[in-house]
Amino acid sequence: MDETGRPRRPLRNLSAKLAMLPMILTALVVFVGGTLWTVVHSFTDSKLLPRLDWAGLEQYDRLWSSDRWLVSIENLVIYGVLSLVFSFLIGFVLAALLDQKIRFEDTFRTIFLYPFALSFIVTGLVWQWLLNPDFGIQSVLRDWGWDVTVDPLYDPGIVIYGVLVAGLWQGTGFVMCLMLAGLRGIDEDIWKAARVDGIPKWKTYLFVVLPMMRPVMVTALVIVTAGIVKLYDLIVAQTGGGPGIASEVPAKYVYDFMFRAQNLGQGFAASTMMLVTVAIILIPWAYLEFGGKRR
Amino acid sequence: MAIVAQSSRTGRISRATLAWIVALLFFFPIFWMVLTSFKTDADAVKPQYLLFFTPTLDNYLNMTDNYDYWRFARNSVITSVFATAFALAVGIPCAYAMAFNPSRHTKDVLMWMLSTKMLPAAAVLYPMTYITKSVGLFDTHFMVIVVLMLINLPIVIWMLFTYFKEIPREIIEAAQMDGVSTWGEIREILIPLAWGGIVSTALLCFIFCWNEAYWTVRLTTTEAATLSKLIEGNRAPEGLFFGRLSAVSAAAVGPIIVLGWFCQKQLVQGLTFGAVK
Repeated sequence: MDETGRPRRPLRNLSAKLAMLPMILTALVVFVGGTLWTVVHSFTDSKLLPRLDWAGLEQYDRLWSSDRWLVSIENLVIYGVLSLVFSFLIGFVLAALLDQKIRFEDTFRTIFLYPFALSFIVTGLVWQWLLNPDFGIQSVLRDWGWDVTVDPLYDPGIVIYGVLVAGLWQGTGFVMCLMLAGLRGIDEDIWKAARVDGIPKWKTYLFVVLPMMRPVMVTALVIVTAGIVKLYDLIVAQTGGGPGIASEVPAKYVYDFMFRAQNLGQGFAASTMMLVTVAIILIPWAYLEFGGKRR
Repeated sequence: MAIVAQSSRTGRISRATLAWIVALLFFFPIFWMVLTSFKTDADAVKPQYLLFFTPTLDNYLNMTDNYDYWRFARNSVITSVFATAFALAVGIPCAYAMAFNPSRHTKDVLMWMLSTKMLPAAAVLYPMTYITKSVGLFDTHFMVIVVLMLINLPIVIWMLFTYFKEIPREIIEAAQMDGVSTWGEIREILIPLAWGGIVSTALLCFIFCWNEAYWTVRLTTTEAATLSKLIEGNRAPEGLFFGRLSAVSAAAVGPIIVLGWFCQKQLVQGLTFGAVK
């Protein structure tokens, strides 16, 4: 930031600082305080109520030997990686499509973005119905004479992909809109130069345009990743974690242990693990991404 | 964009067709939900009535009896509107300070606030529940508003900051020379100049508040429960009340869909966090 030596009344600066105070305070008290509290209590054997009876790493032992937790982690990894890959891939292709001066572009953009404005609860519910073998897509297709099986939600092996479809439906339009904004920011001359040089269109997209869209990519990445970590509502509404424990995710594990199983320590340990994982990924990346441009 | 010049007519038509097909795919689930909401519970599960059925308004007319819809809707409106208003009231001065009186640490503070958005909410959920219960604010509008405001504040400030950054500093400085107070600057200059951005931010915040479930489901039971809680609590796995649930779901997302259609520009701008201008 340019801190040039402009004369500035100290009082004004003070009031500006004061304006930031509420946010900083609440962030400190609620986010940092709450998080620390949770971390500390994850080393206790709290059951129904939080207590400070030290239990060492017992909760973590139990956590990592629990099938349900391992399934949760696996599901989150599958969902996370695939939803990042596909929402970026489909989002980019759609953005490139809409960038061809198509008529009603604004309408398309709004329609693609609509799912993102719906809550995960409703998204999950609607897709639960759509993928229901008895009255969803499958039954309609059967009614039309096609004998197909589309019931991922009832097959433990592929249930997470059923959730993935709903997640992609919700989030892809958002990625597309960001990408489209990025494409609009590309100078027309770049395209002309590439054409003069005889570079194929796909190569221009891949090696010239994509690297130039870095800023919007980063924004999209941050938002999509934040959504993945929080994955909970969608699961609850679409599968309820089932069949069995086949579609459990970490956020739900935490929730269930804290408020259903009355096993607070376990929930705290699980949420601390989530926190640590996010921190391990986030901190080095944030430094690389934002640390360099600070001044 | 430049490619248009060399593209053929068939290419253009096939691209338009493709766009329409994708748009239909995207819109289909919403359309299907709305369609189902006009069927009786019995018709809704029969595939032969997919498109052709005797429409009925019963699902909507009985919404109050079946689900007490209006109470939840009122709670959703109250909490979302006030949370958005408070978030703006706190966010505007904060973003103003960061955009026009930056210090060496402004970027760090912004990064740090955004990082709270990345933290798993699960880690703060219990302490918050505990606090709300111990101060007797569990299941109150006030608490829901405060929580919704807090979790959306980072995004609100971040967005406002990017909009405010675009206002030339000279304008603000000229006002400072004229001796306008800080509050006057915000009210007379900043808000009018960044009005479009503020509206987009407000819309985004409103949508997020409206859709929030992880917190509101936990912090409410009946008194302050929002539509998310209503839907979450009533989802029937076996399609028992398929028609009426569709109706109440459609009614839950309806305000957002309608609002979004009338403010398409702001919706796109808001939902893409100001990246689309």
